[in-house]
Amino acid sequence: MSEQRFTLTELARVGFSDLSSAADDLAELGRATGVDARELLPVFARAASPDAALGGGLALTRQAPDAVRGVLQRADAAGRLVGLLGASTGFREFFLRRPEELVSFASELRTLPTAGELRDDLVRVATDGAVADSAGDEAAWARLRIRYRSWLARIASFDLEQPDPVAGIDAVASCLSDLASAALEASLAVARIAVSRSADTVAAPGTFPAAEVDATLLTIMGMGKAGASELNYLSDVDVIFVAAATEASDLETGRAVDIATRLAMLTIRGIDGIGNEPGLWEVDPNLRPEGKDGALVRSLESHLAYYERWAKNWEFQALLKARPLAGDVGLGERYLAGIAPKVWTSASREGFVASVQAMRQRVTDNIPDDEVDLQLKLGPGGLRDIEFTVQLLQLVHGQDDPSVRAAGTLPALEALAEGGYIGRVESAEFARDYRMLRLMEHRIQLRQLTRTHLMPRDPDDRRAIARATGLANSAEALTTLWAELKHRVRGLHERLFYRPLLSAVAAMPADGRALTSAQAEARLAAIGFRDPHGALAHIAALTAGVSRRSTIQRHLVPVMLQWFSEGADPDYGLLAFRRLSDSLGSTYWYLRMLRDSSGAAQRLTRVLSSSRFVGELLDRIPESVAWLEDLEELRPRPRAALQEETAAILARHGSSDTAAGVLRSMRRREVLRVAFASILDVCTVEELGWALADITANHIAGILAAARGTDDDGIEFAIIAMGRFGGRELGFGSDADVLYVHRATSAEPEMAQRRAQHLVAEVKRLTEEAILPLDLDVDLRPEGKNGPITRSLESYRAYYARWSLTWEAQALLRARAIAGDESLQRDFEEMAAPVRYPIELSELDIREVRRIKARVENERLPQGADPTRHLKLGRGSLSDVEWLVQLLQLQHAHATPALRTPSTLEALTRATEAGLIGETDADTLRAAWIFASRARSAMTLWLNKTADVLPSDRVQLDGVARILAYPPGSSAQLEQDYLAATRRARTVFERLFYGFAETAPPTTG
Amino acid sequence: MDKQRDFVLRTIEERGVKFIRLWFTDVVGTLKSVAIAPAEVEGAFAEGLGFDGSAIEGLTRTFESDLLAHPDPTTFQILPWRGDVDPTARMFCDITTPDGLPAVADPRNVLKRTLAKAADRGFTFYTHPEIEFYLLKSSKYGENGPEPVDSAGYFDNVPGGTAHDFRRRSVRMLEDLGISVEFSHHEAGPGQNEIDLRYADALTTADNVMTFRTVIKEVAIEQGVYATFMPKPFSDKPGSGMHTHMSLFEGDANAFYEAGAQYQLSKTGRHFIAGLLRHAPEITAVTNQFVNSYKRLWGGGEAPSFVCWGHNNRSALIRVPLYKPNKGQSARVEYRAIDSAANPYLAYSLILAAGLKGIEEGYELPPEAEDNVWGLSDTERRALGYNALPASLDHAVSLMEDSELVAETLGEQVFNYVLRNKREEWAAYRTQVTPYELRTNLEIL
Repeated sequence: MSEQRFTLTELARVGFSDLSSAADDLAELGRATGVDARELLPVFARAASPDAALGGGLALTRQAPDAVRGVLQRADAAGRLVGLLGASTGFREFFLRRPEELVSFASELRTLPTAGELRDDLVRVATDGAVADSAGDEAAWARLRIRYRSWLARIASFDLEQPDPVAGIDAVASCLSDLASAALEASLAVARIAVSRSADTVAAPGTFPAAEVDATLLTIMGMGKAGASELNYLSDVDVIFVAAATEASDLETGRAVDIATRLAMLTIRGIDGIGNEPGLWEVDPNLRPEGKDGALVRSLESHLAYYERWAKNWEFQALLKARPLAGDVGLGERYLAGIAPKVWTSASREGFVASVQAMRQRVTDNIPDDEVDLQLKLGPGGLRDIEFTVQLLQLVHGQDDPSVRAAGTLPALEALAEGGYIGRVESAEFARDYRMLRLMEHRIQLRQLTRTHLMPRDPDDRRAIARATGLANSAEALTTLWAELKHRVRGLHERLFYRPLLSAVAAMPADGRALTSAQAEARLAAIGFRDPHGALAHIAALTAGVSRRSTIQRHLVPVMLQWFSEGADPDYGLLAFRRLSDSLGSTYWYLRMLRDSSGAAQRLTRVLSSSRFVGELLDRIPESVAWLEDLEELRPRPRAALQEETAAILARHGSSDTAAGVLRSMRRREVLRVAFASILDVCTVEELGWALADITANHIAGILAAARGTDDDGIEFAIIAMGRFGGRELGFGSDADVLYVHRATSAEPEMAQRRAQHLVAEVKRLTEEAILPLDLDVDLRPEGKNGPITRSLESYRAYYARWSLTWEAQALLRARAIAGDESLQRDFEEMAAPVRYPIELSELDIREVRRIKARVENERLPQGADPTRHLKLGRGSLSDVEWLVQLLQLQHAHATPALRTPSTLEALTRATEAGLIGETDADTLRAAWIFASRARSAMTLWLNKTADVLPSDRVQLDGVARILAYPPGSSAQLEQDYLAATRRARTVFERLFYGFAETAPPTTG
Repeated sequence: MDKQRDFVLRTIEERGVKFIRLWFTDVVGTLKSVAIAPAEVEGAFAEGLGFDGSAIEGLTRTFESDLLAHPDPTTFQILPWRGDVDPTARMFCDITTPDGLPAVADPRNVLKRTLAKAADRGFTFYTHPEIEFYLLKSSKYGENGPEPVDSAGYFDNVPGGTAHDFRRRSVRMLEDLGISVEFSHHEAGPGQNEIDLRYADALTTADNVMTFRTVIKEVAIEQGVYATFMPKPFSDKPGSGMHTHMSLFEGDANAFYEAGAQYQLSKTGRHFIAGLLRHAPEITAVTNQFVNSYKRLWGGGEAPSFVCWGHNNRSALIRVPLYKPNKGQSARVEYRAIDSAANPYLAYSLILAAGLKGIEEGYELPPEAEDNVWGLSDTERRALGYNALPASLDHAVSLMEDSELVAETLGEQVFNYVLRNKREEWAAYRTQVTPYELRTNLEIL
């Protein structure tokens, strides 16, 4: 025969990519098989990867030329072989191992085999021969596995030749499930023979009398994809084993379970055990009661008892798809009948909402970063996204409506549309998307017969997938198609789950079918709305009517509902949103922003569903929603900007009252901005403290300036911030501690005192505010409540010189001048320096500080408060850390000027650098201080009232935890973490502050 | 569990049960019991039985006074000592808050949590306690202390003695309650007895220990004597310990067993012992929770006062017992400090946590103690690195206070409660003027 050479152009047209070696290989193939290579060209042109097909064909030819010749000589058989080799290198390996199986290409599979045919065939082949060994029989297993793979090849080849593989996916997936069931059945049959012994033989270990084995019923229940009849080419098969004794026998259930356990183990080994023909797939029995620690096989009663009491919700969701795969069908039916009521009432169980949220989390979690773009199954827009939504809808509505209780995803979609729970158009659209994704998954798995859900990175490989699916003919086209698919699927949850909620409240639903209110409320309750009835009313109010506003909101609300449901208090969030829309709906920018900027809308839902503080303030300043569009707007404004605005306000307004009014609204606005920032994690708790202190300081300075006017009143006057205000460590709802100081310039001392007092009264009056109160607290002044409200600088000087007690020096540590005449501000701080940074602190003084602290601990804690939960004065919380730092400052700030700062955390850092405190100890203290500060602010944000005690109510704790970035349902964890952090801080504090010794060594004997 | 529940309801009807006691345990380890009428049982299964938890030691934070007791139908047993007059049954309960969360301070829940942690690492924890107690003529005591029922010694067979009948009756009753008894014999002290319960997972064992104490007390009443689990009722006689044998299983395999290793003790076993040794001092306030416990620990005799381990060394804190070769499943270690008055739920939680910590961190096991540790001098012991267990409750509490392990295992709230409760006990004890002081000081000072 003459040698056929092809031009490279010809080969390129066929679809080869490695052209010169293709030419050589084709020639070799032709020589070895005696088939005219030219006739094979159209066959190769149809293969997913002609190169792989040719490489595979050649390798097989070298191994078994006669068998390949037999196939290639017939055009239709050649098409099947080349097609399969082109789509799957995995099968190449199989046929290299078992060339005799190539005969299966000889006949065409016109229709897919039925479950019965597959079962009979596999059982016959597997048990056709001796099953000698009671530990199972390698030969029988090998027969079973080879036969399985041979069928798999024929099904794959049928699949590849289908004119419309997208439409055919249901049948193929179902046939693959039947094949898996048949394999289990055959393996079980082998196991039964292996463990049976006739009455006259000697008892070998692991064998049982044949009569007893016969009386043992075993059912293999399939879960997951196998249960739903939608298996992939290569999946784990999730199973549960149920055993019983036949009714006619007198075999005890316990004995039957023992025998069945042996059968089950051998069945699994037959499928995935090591052997010279490799295992098929993993049989995964870990969804059984108690997971991998539980008994492998249980009786029906034991299963039901377990689920009655112990099962967690997700186990019920796994049972949604249960179906008998192999073994005794009657027992399987009884199992299903037993669990069905439990599965379908799980949506009304305690904790269902939390488990749904966790389930949702699992959809997106745990994908390695470099795989996100390649994942077909997990991640946004993946297969799991569709499955999750469909299952959730089934669980919610399947309670009352048995018609939606289908196991498979596609039948379920259809049933949900049939029942009017989702739109028909959507249902059809997503069924198609789902099928396309599944088809891509099938082709990817077929390639190497591996269990993967990752799209190959390599463009050549991706091109082969494109050609194998028939969806596209190049790698780029497939990538584009897939991106569109993902995009559509991402919107699925919203379109299937949330959008129909609107139809329940619409007067005239769009496609004529609507959810009933009860159905809509069930859905809302399932995602965490505590008052679904009220929520539905809000949805109605937001979407009713024909105005532009309701039209836009009809599009917005479904998406926002989803986000609300992820927050701590969805009901409040929705209510606040409704109020906001009532006041802003008619502005030109509000709806546009929410419609066009999904970031802004999502941030809005987050703040509204997690903070009443924000909700109430926002009610007053609705226009601040506009900041949400731009994260930069949410950064706390720098001090200079605040000062500039204040100066402008003062210049614009002549009257102190009008200026103060504007300044107060400016303060509300800026506090709201910081509240946004703090919930959206734009700023840390330290930055929050600075921002709030700056806003407050700037506000007070502005008010003071407004109160004084421009006339010379003959005095200088200044305001000193103290306490956490001085340290720039304010939280939401903190009081502002201050001192007032004045100095006469031209006025008589007595007159100066009166004028200063008048100023204090004015400042107090002008800062009065109902919505966001500002308490100017002057209790830290000399002589406390008995002292004059303002003093002259000289009076302060004289007082500190004569009377000063250590605790007053301690209070001065955080004094920071913030408003008034600058020269006086400077002089006050100068006057304070020697008092607060004494050259030496005597042992007696130190003892005094310790004693006062010990007394304060005892006295200042409110009656009945639990010291471990008090954030300010409790064990190891704010005041412990602050006292310790202040003691260090009093002792060392004279010698170590770096310590001279009003800020607790900064002083702590400086003290560590100066070696005054160990790094580990400092870290422990810092952690507790930050935790307590964050918790305090979070509580104010959540409840819109200031509280100092960690709440004990679970719902409240959970809300606080959410602001602190814990996942849902973390109330107990938050409590545990807080108590642990403060306990550790307290130990450090007691050692360093009180000087309590380490534990004394034990006395012995 | 429907079936089990139905079984309970049916049995109540068939046997004419008049009262059902719902049992649970407070943080100190006292058994609490609420009796309900048969008509209330169904409701208790469905919704739990509400009660005011604030009155129970350490069970709640003050604001969380409403609690629910959920009876566990699998623990249903007719109480045998009631005979046929007004038959009474009991069930153990899990305690939850009204919103269905396990109560943080339910000791049973603490143990469940710790066992779950072990299960996450693939381990099941089995324990087997040897419980000692004294039989006294009555709970009243005179000048010379309490009066025991006999004056026999270790393994003595006392003909016609109370103790013999007593043990027979108790063992019978325990078996009636579904608690298997391994062994029972007369112990070293007069009137002192020991009964060993069979190996079971730690939660079952702890439930059994609680039942056991009740049974012993009831049988004693029936026979006109008094039984006490006080750790050291006589200053010159041995105290009552609850030596506990324990092992970890990985599936069906004993994780402490390794053929061919020294004493057949696996690496896991060695790390477990090392963990237990290192953390023993800080868990002592729970395993030996009363002022009186330390009189036993430091009372000489067989009490283990020094932190060391040995193979069959009865003076060591931890003993690796001898067992028959080829019996790998019975590989175990024995912890000897714990006494009969401990709260078994909390004590087993901490012992397990300490052992797991050793495994996790791969602690090195120090060399074994081969001598009688009591026979060594202080300096010798120090040279060999045998630390002592805490000398008093006060000392034990201060060691526990610094323990992350204990705080983490008990949970912050139980941890706080135990500390507070034990400090109060110590404070009350310290104010006492004892007969010893009067005897030694009064006349000469």
